[in-house]
Amino acid sequence: MSLSTLFNRRINRLGSRDFLKAIRPFVGLFVVLLLFAMDAELRSLFFKGSNFKMILTQTVIVAIGAMGMTLVIVSGGIDLSAGSVVALCSVVTAKLIEQGHGFAVVLLLTVLAGGLVGLANGGIITAFRMMPFIVTLGMMGIARGISKWLANNQTVNPEQPLESVNSLMDNSQSPLTFSPLPDGVWLALGLAVLMAVVLRSTVFGRYVFAIGSNEDTARLCGIRVNFNKVVIYALAGAFFGLAGVMQFSRLTQGDPSVAIGLELQIIAAVVIGGASLSGGAGSIPGSVIGAFMMACLANGSGIKDWPNYMQEIIIGVVIILAVGMDKVEPFIQRLFKRQSSSN
Amino acid sequence: MKSWLLGAACAALVFVSGCGSQSGDSSGNGLTIVVIPKGTTHEFWKSIHAGALKARQELKAAGQSVDIIWKGPLKEDDRDEQIKVVENFIARGVDGMVLAPLDDKALVRPVETSGNADIPVVIIDSGLQTDKYTSFVATDNHLGGRMGGAHLGKLLGGKGNVLLLRYAVGSASTTKREQGFLDEMKENFPGIEVLSSDQYAGATRDLAYTASQNLLSRYGNEVNGIFCPNESVTVSMTKAVRDIGKAGGMVKIIGFDTSVQSLRDLKSGDVAGLVVQNPLKMGCLGVMTLVEHLGGKAVAKRIDTGVALITSENMSEPDMQELLNPPLEKYLGTGN
Repeated sequence: MSLSTLFNRRINRLGSRDFLKAIRPFVGLFVVLLLFAMDAELRSLFFKGSNFKMILTQTVIVAIGAMGMTLVIVSGGIDLSAGSVVALCSVVTAKLIEQGHGFAVVLLLTVLAGGLVGLANGGIITAFRMMPFIVTLGMMGIARGISKWLANNQTVNPEQPLESVNSLMDNSQSPLTFSPLPDGVWLALGLAVLMAVVLRSTVFGRYVFAIGSNEDTARLCGIRVNFNKVVIYALAGAFFGLAGVMQFSRLTQGDPSVAIGLELQIIAAVVIGGASLSGGAGSIPGSVIGAFMMACLANGSGIKDWPNYMQEIIIGVVIILAVGMDKVEPFIQRLFKRQSSSN
Repeated sequence: MKSWLLGAACAALVFVSGCGSQSGDSSGNGLTIVVIPKGTTHEFWKSIHAGALKARQELKAAGQSVDIIWKGPLKEDDRDEQIKVVENFIARGVDGMVLAPLDDKALVRPVETSGNADIPVVIIDSGLQTDKYTSFVATDNHLGGRMGGAHLGKLLGGKGNVLLLRYAVGSASTTKREQGFLDEMKENFPGIEVLSSDQYAGATRDLAYTASQNLLSRYGNEVNGIFCPNESVTVSMTKAVRDIGKAGGMVKIIGFDTSVQSLRDLKSGDVAGLVVQNPLKMGCLGVMTLVEHLGGKAVAKRIDTGVALITSENMSEPDMQELLNPPLEKYLGTGN
């Protein structure tokens, strides 16, 4: 056996494993949909265009948050402040609308506000070499507190609603048909494509993977690790800011107590999507599918009228299964290999 | 002046049992109705649930079979979660909804969506800033506030100093109670001075306790009567009054809603009276109104479910007992 064939085989194996990993969330989603299709009641009620529009709209906030979180988790970090930043930014949106700004200004400044929180996260983490878990845990409280302070401990209801922001997540005019999809869904889909390309095919995207795989090696290779980490957290914050605009649009009000625990849903979506909390693995399409799958499960449980606790248990099981597949897959592969070698 | 109040109270009592609406025509096939509360654990919502099941029983007896689905938000007091529950039932395509909105603005769009999907919605308990609903079935909170004010004025003999500790900024139902109390004082008891009416307690008992202490340290020596617009303020204010040694009737406290502690205080005489709502009737009338609407009848846009004043003298009367301890087991035990 020549060295080149050995090398080729190695590449193939790596490739097939990566491929398996990449399609896993899609397979998971397919299994869920298949299970739903086997149930007569769900078949008629779940698989309707209008219902899918509803699920897609419900997915938008978690999906946009998951795009930012994917960057952070792939780089080996974590951001627990996501939910609080979403709440803070929903209040910021409301305040900006109250001051009479237009659509573009509201969107830009809110995203910027989220980005600033992320910048603070990244700055503290790199400057003082602190654990991301601790820093963002602290920021979770700080951002929540600031949002309550800004909002004076109540919801903020702009007297002159800005229709363009409100309509981002509005389905109320056509609840019985699939189209038109609300703008927020298109925006999320477009961003998902953009971010998938950024993470896979740009220098910055590869740096994110390199830092998450092995930070020291990345540093030795000449990657400006600290700078890139700050950019990653700031970018993630910007995504949470955008999710905050969507949250405002959904409630049509700024609510400082909204999105409590949302960060855990976002992290769950990213993990179901194939990311590893130890860094170096994960993908944008996977995370978005993860978010969509969780919304499907919640919607299906609702239609089946399962009690709330069942829904919580099911999603918990799915998270563990998704991560557990990491351990099961090599086992299955070995099994296949033994069979093929005995032939 | 008090005759209309009394009349209202009596009307409320008459309808305590049997939620006051008679069965109409029955349209044969069964209806699926979802009842969405703000939360599921509080005693108040259990009474609403019992009321909804009571309506089902009465409708069944009248030949109309109704399926009641009881579904609260996954996380209590989370507006986004309640919106999801409403949306998922629109997707499921129920015949109608009875909804207690967590927020008078955030739930507007889901209710409008529901209307566009031809699913009528009856709002219970708290108002909504739209008119795209079928009917609003709730306590007349303004009347409740007036009732409490009238009783307090009577106890004080039309003179003295009173305090109002408000509940929380932006809470619609308690704001109406507070306004009702102030209106009653202004119109019918000119001899009574309201020392303070601009302080807010905040959402929790702990915050309310601090606010009560602060208020009493300022006005504790001059105050004769206090009105508390909800359960947490009532309990906390009573505790603070006990702390300064003015409990047991030296300062007359009128509260709103009931809890184990406030009933204990009422019995011991620390609280002079409690204005109570009728959640059982609210749940029952909510479903009844929706079914009438679905049967093609015209229903009133606003339906009052009544309030009653409970004092230590009348609290053992059977009517009051039914309000204080609604027969939940009777309905929830046998229900779904």
